[in-house]
Amino acid sequence: MHRLHSLWLTYRSYAGITLLVALMTMVLQPLEFAFDLVNIALIYLFPVLLSAVYWGLGPAFYAAVLSILAFDFFFVPPTLSFTVKDLSYLISFGVYLAVAALTASLAARLKQQLAYSRQRETHTAALYALSRQMSAITDIHSLLDNVALQVEKTIGTNIAIYMPDDRNKLAQTHGSAAPGEWGQGNMEQVIASLVFEHGEEAGNGTNTLRDSPGYYLPLRTEDRIYGVLAINLKERKGGISTEQRRLLEALAGLTASAIARVKLAEEAKIAHLTAESERLRTAILDSVSHELRTPLAAIIGSATSLIEGDLLFSAEDRMELLLNIRDGALRMNRLVANLLSMVRVESGMLRLKKNWCDVEDLIGVALSQVKAFQEHRRMKVRIPESVPMVRGDEVLLEQLLVNVISNAIKYSPDRSEIIIAVTPAEDKLVISVADEGIGLAEEDYDRIFEKFYRSDVARQFTGTGLGLAICKGIAELHGGTIIASPNVPKGSVIAITLPVDESAVPQDIEKESDGYE
Amino acid sequence: MSEQGARILIVDDEPQIRKLLKVTLQAHRFTIHEASTGEEGVLQAMMSQPDLIVLDLGLPDISGMEVLGRIRDWSSAPIIVLTVKDREEDKIAALDGGADDYVTKPFFMGELVARINVALRHAAKSTNEPVLQFDGLTINLAQRIVELNGERVRLTPTEYDLLKILASNAGKVVTQRQLLQQVWGSQHNESDSHYLRIYIGHLRKKLEEDSTMPRFIVTEPGIGYRFKSREY
Repeated sequence: MHRLHSLWLTYRSYAGITLLVALMTMVLQPLEFAFDLVNIALIYLFPVLLSAVYWGLGPAFYAAVLSILAFDFFFVPPTLSFTVKDLSYLISFGVYLAVAALTASLAARLKQQLAYSRQRETHTAALYALSRQMSAITDIHSLLDNVALQVEKTIGTNIAIYMPDDRNKLAQTHGSAAPGEWGQGNMEQVIASLVFEHGEEAGNGTNTLRDSPGYYLPLRTEDRIYGVLAINLKERKGGISTEQRRLLEALAGLTASAIARVKLAEEAKIAHLTAESERLRTAILDSVSHELRTPLAAIIGSATSLIEGDLLFSAEDRMELLLNIRDGALRMNRLVANLLSMVRVESGMLRLKKNWCDVEDLIGVALSQVKAFQEHRRMKVRIPESVPMVRGDEVLLEQLLVNVISNAIKYSPDRSEIIIAVTPAEDKLVISVADEGIGLAEEDYDRIFEKFYRSDVARQFTGTGLGLAICKGIAELHGGTIIASPNVPKGSVIAITLPVDESAVPQDIEKESDGYE
Repeated sequence: MSEQGARILIVDDEPQIRKLLKVTLQAHRFTIHEASTGEEGVLQAMMSQPDLIVLDLGLPDISGMEVLGRIRDWSSAPIIVLTVKDREEDKIAALDGGADDYVTKPFFMGELVARINVALRHAAKSTNEPVLQFDGLTINLAQRIVELNGERVRLTPTEYDLLKILASNAGKVVTQRQLLQQVWGSQHNESDSHYLRIYIGHLRKKLEEDSTMPRFIVTEPGIGYRFKSREY
């Protein structure tokens, strides 16, 4: 049944032509006397042209021969015989065949061109799709994943992409092949390296290693080679067409320029960071030189006074100067500690020593740290009975709390109230510190976490503008956030949000009885 | 309160710090020996047989940790290490490596003297005292009874063990690892530190008036806990 069907598909053009010619003959024969023979001959060209356009060269010739035979047999005198009386008809027959051949080959070429432009269209669509996706991707990894996918879709075979690693050694980074399959072999690696070094295509159908089962293309822009695209043609008889080769070249070029774009963006980012650190350095110099010199002046002045004019001072004066020295030194100590913390948090060198932290304990430690300078401010802690523990670096989290609470103390009047509240939410914990201090201008609430930023209202107090920037760094290192907002009726609230992963908390401890004597 | 006349060896490469310690500690009637390098420190520890050693961890020749180990090999004299801030891992390593306490530079002199006194007292104290007495808190080790302001406090076995370890080291820091090891044994794992915090929280709820301002059990962030009492 199936074979019959395919046979039918192959020969249906011939059957159609036979039927058409037979029909025409049946229709034309009764009209023989109404038409000139020449006209009838012209009508018989119709099936020839038709089959040339739709079915190609073979059917066209068949139609020509059949038409000649039908015309000869039924119309050319003597009718109902193949004999030809007037030999000039033989020339007509020749012309017939020539017309058939010519139109058929023209039509065939037309058809081929159609198929060709269809293919071009799909290729262009593929390139277009790829380039559109590429411009949206900003990291090389997903970019190459995309390329691999797209090439496989268009060419229909598996591929491998090789990229140099940090030490400029080429290694397969992407491809459909599972480990151990095509692309991982020694042979493929060697050819890929060769292509990477020379920047010329190699493998199947090229001038280098023509018989290799793979086709290797450099991913190159004008000035650099970024990697190698390899196509597995092992299971593909006859390799790939010139057209596909051209498509692959275009894809490789596109990929290379996309990689170049991503790399450039990375470099631009580094350049931006460098500029930023330059700006920062200036700010540090300005701020630090002032912040260091002021306490130093106090220390040196007080100490030299004490040494040189020992007899001039009363006991109280002496104590005054000594306290001056201590406070100046403590201020410098805070500054140095803040600077070091800032550098650590910023540099990314900081490794979090994550541990279970009891927030109540952290607040307690922070409060004991600020006790020395809280004067008569009332510190209120509002903490629910049971609070989940957070995973974090307790030293850093304590520093974060100390900085925030110190700030609240610094910018609020003595005898005012500072409320530290802990609110557990679904998968996070919010620690807020609310003061009744000077508050901030609307636009400053976002900016106070910037390095060295000091709001106008804060300038009357000494400080570097580092404390809150460190807080932000620490909160973010823990996957949390820190925001500032106005307090009602006055002052500000700093809210620290830390993530809580309930599922990571160890099973609750077994209940121990405390009834032992 | 100072143990008068005790011999203290100072191992620090900074002349200014040595001078500061020497002048202040002599004023507190200690006898001072000095060493400016690690090697010299190890030698001096043998020669002068000090009652206590103040050791800077940042030495120029050999690491403070090595000096600590080499002295600990044969001497049980208390050792207080001086470190800089932000080096919690050094502090823990030193404490777990045999140091008795630590002081972070820059330090208040009063704090250092207090630590020295606590360490000297612990070294001198006989180990079998049946009752520990603190400001309002009594721990009867023989009968395992804890009383706060004359009233009996009921503790679970783990809470009691924790309190016992902390209180018998009163004034001294005890690292988390030391606590875990002594209460849970050497098989303790990472999640036990979570339990440790829970038990400390429970203990505080039973012993402290305000757990955010603990009177007895003070947290040393990143290191461990210190049992504080007005006695010291």
